[in-house]
Amino acid sequence: MNFLGRGPRVSDEQKKRIPPGQYFTEKWPVLHYGSVPRVDLKTWDFKVWGEVDNPFELDWAEFKMLPRKPIHTDIHCVTRWSRLDTDFEGVAIQTVLERAKLRPTAHFVVVHAEQGYTTNLPLDVLDDDDVILADMADGAPLTPDHGYPLRLVVPKRYFWKSAKWVRGLQFTQVDKPGFWERYGYNNNADPWKEERFSE
Amino acid sequence: MPSTGPRADEVRAEFHRLISQPGHAVDNARMAMETLESALAEGVLTRTPEIDQTLADLRLALEQDDGQKLGGKSAEAARFITRRLGQLIDAA
Repeated sequence: MNFLGRGPRVSDEQKKRIPPGQYFTEKWPVLHYGSVPRVDLKTWDFKVWGEVDNPFELDWAEFKMLPRKPIHTDIHCVTRWSRLDTDFEGVAIQTVLERAKLRPTAHFVVVHAEQGYTTNLPLDVLDDDDVILADMADGAPLTPDHGYPLRLVVPKRYFWKSAKWVRGLQFTQVDKPGFWERYGYNNNADPWKEERFSE
Repeated sequence: MPSTGPRADEVRAEFHRLISQPGHAVDNARMAMETLESALAEGVLTRTPEIDQTLADLRLALEQDDGQKLGGKSAEAARFITRRLGQLIDAA
C-alpha cells in the first residue's frame, strides 16, 4: 500500500515527486466527458493560427515527418491520481512555435481539440522543454481513450491542460478560458500549488 | 434586463429544481437542458451569447455516441455547467 493507505507501495524518492493531495497509481485512469471521438487519419489535420506570421496546417503524414522528441515524466490529474515515470514521444512544442513564427503580441494559447474541447495556457508555460505534442505513450501509439492520434502533454500542469485529441493551437494576445476553466477549474492549474478549482 | 413574468420565474424554478433533485447529474442535466431549450425557443427567457455557449458546452459534455459509454467526467461537467447555467438564467 502507498503512504495514503491505498494503491501500490511508494518509495521515498517517489513520494517527493507526488504533489500535495495526490495519490500514486500505476494505472492510467481514463477521464473525459462525452464520447471518445472517432478519428479518420485521411481527413485529420492540425492547424496553427492567430498571433503568428506563418499560420499553417499539417495533415497526418506531414505531422509525422516533423522531428521527434521523447520525454520521461510524471503526470498529475486534478481528480488526485499521479502516475510517475510515463514515457511520451512526439513533436517538441518548440518545433511548432518556430515554424509558426510567433508575433510579439502572442502571449497565450488556446488548445483546440475534437468536439469543441478547448483549454488555455500562457505562452511561457507552453514553451517549456518538457512540452510535446505526443502521438505515443509508453512505447505504443496512443489508444483512442488517451487521445489517439495526438495529444498535448504539459507535465507541469494538471492533466486536463494536456488536451486529448488535439487539432490545433490558436495564439492570442489575451487569455481565453477553455472548457473546464470556464466552469470553475483553476486557470493556472499548478499541481504543486494544488490549484484545482477557482472557487 | 432579466425576463419577467410568472412563466419566466416558473422556468427558473423548474431548472433549479431539476439540477438539484436526487439522481444522476447527467440525467438531471439532460432534463434541465430540455426545459431551458424549450423556454428559450418560446421566448420565455432571453437568449444570450453566453447562454448559447454554455448550452453548447453542456451538449458536448452529454454527447453519447451509439454503443459508447459516457466519459467519466461527464457527470462532473454536467454539475459544473448546469450550476453556471443556473446563474445565467437568473439574470436572463
